[in-house]
Amino acid sequence: MPLAYSLPSNLSPATVANTSSLLRIIALSLISGAAIASRLFAVINFESIIHEFDPWFNYRATKVLAEKGFYEFWNWFDPTAWYPLGRVVGGTIYPGLMATSGVIYNVLHALHLPVDIRNICVLLAPGFSALTAWSTYMFTKEMKDESAGLLAAAFIGIAPGYISRSVAGSYDNEAIAIFLLMFTFYCWIKALKTGSAFFGTLTALFYFYMVAAWGGYAFITNMIPLHALTLILMGRFSSRLYVAYSSWYAIGTLSSMQVPFVGFQPVRTSEHMAALGVFGLLQIVAFAGMVRTHVSSKQFQSILYSSVIVIGLVGALAFGGLTYKGWIAPWTGRFYSLWDTGYAKKYIPIIASVSEHQPTAWPSFFMDLQFLIFIFPAGVVLCFRELRDEHVFVIIYALVASYFAGVMVRLMLTLTPVVCVAAAVAFSSLLDTYLDPVEPAVSEAVVPSTEADSAAAASPASGSSLGTDAAAPATGKKAKKAAATESSASGLASGLIAALSPSDKSSKPRGIFGLDTRSLVIFNAFGMLLFFVLHCTYVTSSAYSSPSVVLASTNPDGSQHIIDDFREAYYWLRQNTPEDAVVMSWWDYGYQIAGMADRPTLVDNNTWNNTHIATVGKAMSSTEEVAYPILRKHDVEYVLVIFGGLIGYSGDDINKFLWMVRIAQGVWPDEIQEPNYFTPKGEYRIDDAAPATMKESLMYKMSYYRFAELFGGQQAVDRVRGQQVPKTGPTLDHLDEAFTSENWIVRIYQVKKEDPLGRDLKSANAFEQGKKRKKTKPLARRKAVV
Amino acid sequence: MPRNWHTPLSLILSALVLPLCASAANSFENTAIVRTVELGGALVHVTTTYAVKALEDGSSVYTLALGEQEHAHTSWLEAKLKGQAEVLPLEDFGYHPDSGVFLYTVELPKALNTNGTANLVVETVQTHATFPWPQEAAQKDPQSLKYNAELFVISPYKTLVQRTKIRAPTTTVHSYTEPEDVAFTTDAVVTKAGATITYGPFHDIPASASQDFVDTKQKQVTVHYTYDHPVIEVKKLERAVEISHWGANLNVDNTMVFYNAGPRLKGHFSRLEYQTQNYFGRGAAHMLPGINLILPAGIHSAYYYDLVGNVSTSHLRTAPSVPKGPNSNAYSLLELRPRYPVMGGWNYSFTLGWDSPLQDYAGYDKSTGKHIVGVPLMTVIPTAVVDEAEITLILPEGATDIEYFTPYPALSERISNHITYLDTIGRPKITLKYKELTDKHTGNIYVTYKVPFRAHLQKPLAVAMAFLGVFAIALTWRRVDTRIRRK
Repeated sequence: MPLAYSLPSNLSPATVANTSSLLRIIALSLISGAAIASRLFAVINFESIIHEFDPWFNYRATKVLAEKGFYEFWNWFDPTAWYPLGRVVGGTIYPGLMATSGVIYNVLHALHLPVDIRNICVLLAPGFSALTAWSTYMFTKEMKDESAGLLAAAFIGIAPGYISRSVAGSYDNEAIAIFLLMFTFYCWIKALKTGSAFFGTLTALFYFYMVAAWGGYAFITNMIPLHALTLILMGRFSSRLYVAYSSWYAIGTLSSMQVPFVGFQPVRTSEHMAALGVFGLLQIVAFAGMVRTHVSSKQFQSILYSSVIVIGLVGALAFGGLTYKGWIAPWTGRFYSLWDTGYAKKYIPIIASVSEHQPTAWPSFFMDLQFLIFIFPAGVVLCFRELRDEHVFVIIYALVASYFAGVMVRLMLTLTPVVCVAAAVAFSSLLDTYLDPVEPAVSEAVVPSTEADSAAAASPASGSSLGTDAAAPATGKKAKKAAATESSASGLASGLIAALSPSDKSSKPRGIFGLDTRSLVIFNAFGMLLFFVLHCTYVTSSAYSSPSVVLASTNPDGSQHIIDDFREAYYWLRQNTPEDAVVMSWWDYGYQIAGMADRPTLVDNNTWNNTHIATVGKAMSSTEEVAYPILRKHDVEYVLVIFGGLIGYSGDDINKFLWMVRIAQGVWPDEIQEPNYFTPKGEYRIDDAAPATMKESLMYKMSYYRFAELFGGQQAVDRVRGQQVPKTGPTLDHLDEAFTSENWIVRIYQVKKEDPLGRDLKSANAFEQGKKRKKTKPLARRKAVV
Repeated sequence: MPRNWHTPLSLILSALVLPLCASAANSFENTAIVRTVELGGALVHVTTTYAVKALEDGSSVYTLALGEQEHAHTSWLEAKLKGQAEVLPLEDFGYHPDSGVFLYTVELPKALNTNGTANLVVETVQTHATFPWPQEAAQKDPQSLKYNAELFVISPYKTLVQRTKIRAPTTTVHSYTEPEDVAFTTDAVVTKAGATITYGPFHDIPASASQDFVDTKQKQVTVHYTYDHPVIEVKKLERAVEISHWGANLNVDNTMVFYNAGPRLKGHFSRLEYQTQNYFGRGAAHMLPGINLILPAGIHSAYYYDLVGNVSTSHLRTAPSVPKGPNSNAYSLLELRPRYPVMGGWNYSFTLGWDSPLQDYAGYDKSTGKHIVGVPLMTVIPTAVVDEAEITLILPEGATDIEYFTPYPALSERISNHITYLDTIGRPKITLKYKELTDKHTGNIYVTYKVPFRAHLQKPLAVAMAFLGVFAIALTWRRVDTRIRRK
């Protein structure tokens, strides 16, 4: 057989196997290193610090776990959160993340490596990203082969879609969840392939870990049943499926119920019913299979029909009845918002107010996945070619995750792994085809037309590799069963090819001839990989590596200037206020205040009590006179607002203000109305034209209090909204300015106590400033009647 | 509490001396005493010059007396002969209940014969001797402090003439006590010239170290003055010095809790006002915007953080390390800026640490086979008082024959075990506790110890063994068939 280039022939198979295994290990460790290193931009550019909002709570909880032990953590009641309600932390969190860090912390300390718990928390996500790369390798290896696995590992290692939630310092549940997701799926595929109860149990154990770690476990809970159901519908029921699914479901469900936050949900909520239903269906199918071996086929037919109808009816009735009786909770709002993107905006403004719950914008697909997003469909199509059980899984996963990623930005995260897997399968097929030195057998020297050549080179990997492989007779070892689908798939593929290259009608031998063709495609392919790496590095360093607690700007001389207002103000609170001083702020900052300032807060990012949040919203959006009793009743000592008007920090409270109004309006529609905060023209303004309600609101007053004075008589400008601030700023009677950070981003106000003389604070204030009280009109002297 | 004495053989001597001074030892006479008080914030420096005349031959032990109030504030005491650098040996005899004073003896370098004279200069540093008055000040207000002192310098000897000068840092002195019914003088008791207030001269004061004198003659004087710098108090200082021979590194880590002991901030902090003040270059006197610390030369990898992370506002200028021996004045400068300006009554805590080359501090004595390491007792924080200090020295793992010498005796000291990175048995840790340290408390702690060669190898061996164990387990695992059923 002619070869395009010569291969060494004097190597023993053992040498080849050993060398490739060594190379694989080296490649995997390099990929792990790259995955970890690319997540360290945040540490190098800033410092080893916990990012954003939720991670601060996780960090605080982990500190409790590390310092006081697991039982103390389990029974932790936090009286400082949701003041005065408190929060049962142990029962309202997914403890997997904290437990993981706690175990790592204790192991390291047992080995006399006294690593700070903060550093463990900061570096946990990069560490687990290396494990994710490994588990993606294992998963993809089951789909195609080791080389595809390595590609997939490299892709997931540096894909920005995953990095966005796993940079160093982003200490959130997703940090370990993606590893667990991929490993659970790997175990599931393995269990399904081998029919091994051991792997089924392993799936269940990692499923349990996943349940303990992330609320997104519901994705696995529905993916595996969906896969099993699809297999049954495709007529691929087997004892392997039965064993794998049953062992996963039985052990997984029981163990997942051990997590207090999940509790009885697996048997009582709609989200978990699919798994139960498929479990029942599997039993029935298996039972039917058993019955079939014992009765004649005619009898079996009638038994089958009647039982299908009866069981279906009974099942549906039971489900409906249980839902109606309240035994099974109906779909939650969060679930509806997955189907109707406008739902949350209408009914649950708290969910809609979070930016990561917004539908994904198209460019972000490219930003997060770059060229993977367009070879991803090719990979999915390639899965149709073989369509073993595990390929069905990837196809389903791809469909479901694509939909969810389109609905919600944060679910981009679940899409990324399957994109990496499918893209790796496609890319590796391309490389396989073009790296294979075997020249197609030609009876006569046929020179392929330059047109076809350039089409092969320029067209995306899918088309050319599909075409050549479909034509090549070498891929013949297929299961008999899959043959039908296989032919349809290749039919589809050849259709694709026909569309791509019009000159392929003849029966000429097809394939890749010569080194130049090969090197052209390979060169392009490596170019894509190279640009992918550059893109990932750029996006990671510029977009995803900001801690958001610390902001960076540039000095005139080009050096980095750090805007550290948040920590300045939080640390001031921590050092100079009484330990039990209650701080009110919008819920976004609750976790940070608890973590950095260590003070009780009214509301925080665990938005479980809408009314409480609405109370804060109401206080912020009402006048001082209305807000003051609310503040006093909640023992609020300090009120904290974020104001970006001076340096142009756009994520400030005035920009979030409408959400406060909306949420408050949801509870007090009579007192707070959103339209009152707009000008008659419908504009959102803070300048002279701002409506009275806006100007009188506590939030407005606290944001702009004495702001205009800073400009020393010149026109004060709010740099975020680009509007001119009224020269005479608002006055405050019920609050005192207590602290303002360097760039005015954080402003803290102290709530005044009631006047000791019993006056209302407004008149007391006026008295102190020496203003005379407006005299009530003296009684008109009665004129003498003449 | 002064602790600048060196020979702790007090018990026997005290039995000898105490009866002596109780009976108003007449071996000396003070021809003149001049006390100069340099008013400050947290620290007040007092220099008292005793012109001493001997009344007997061979008088060499001079007794100093401190009143109870003065003693409570004094944290550092040093006696020298005028014009000489040598510090005279000093011994503490503690409280003398009969006369109600605290006694110290100074040993003169040469015994004096009758009518022989000497000029003894006693320097003390008083801490917590001033307090803000008014106790609250708004952001714009100036800062004023009050200082209380006793009018007469107490001495167990007869004094011919005595003066007390109190020097304020600025000429703005709001008020000072003009005591009435003062004995020993006929002139004006007090005169003020510029920033200096002079009490005296007082003539022919009998031996005054007695309860009777304190009760009947002693007077209190108070000076109320303006102070333009923040009053810094370090409530707690934890300093850990870790010696590593493997890394040839000396790590120093200081955790400090700052407190602005000036007048409490009246009302609230206004950033607008602060920025206006800064813009016009007149920051409030009682505000602490930052502090400059002088760190040793040759340091690297300095870090500066507090409970919420790095403080991005500080700057470090390092100087390269200087060869041992010559007295070089090269130093690194750290401009510390807390996250927020520390106003009166506010706290701020942070951790400051650095690495420095071990050879700058350590030596090896070949004859005894001992390492000698000398590290400064503390990083001096100018004009600040350190209320409580815990200084720990962590020696290399396996160090034996540990001896250490402190410049000032510690309140408590102990050696414990400390386990850190990859230690198998842990390292010896010396913990010393001090109170009321000032910027006069310089000096080195010297530690000598032996480290056997075996101890140096302990860490790499332990790590190598651990890795070997892991590999061995992996090796056997790969080679042993763990399947239940053979295929």
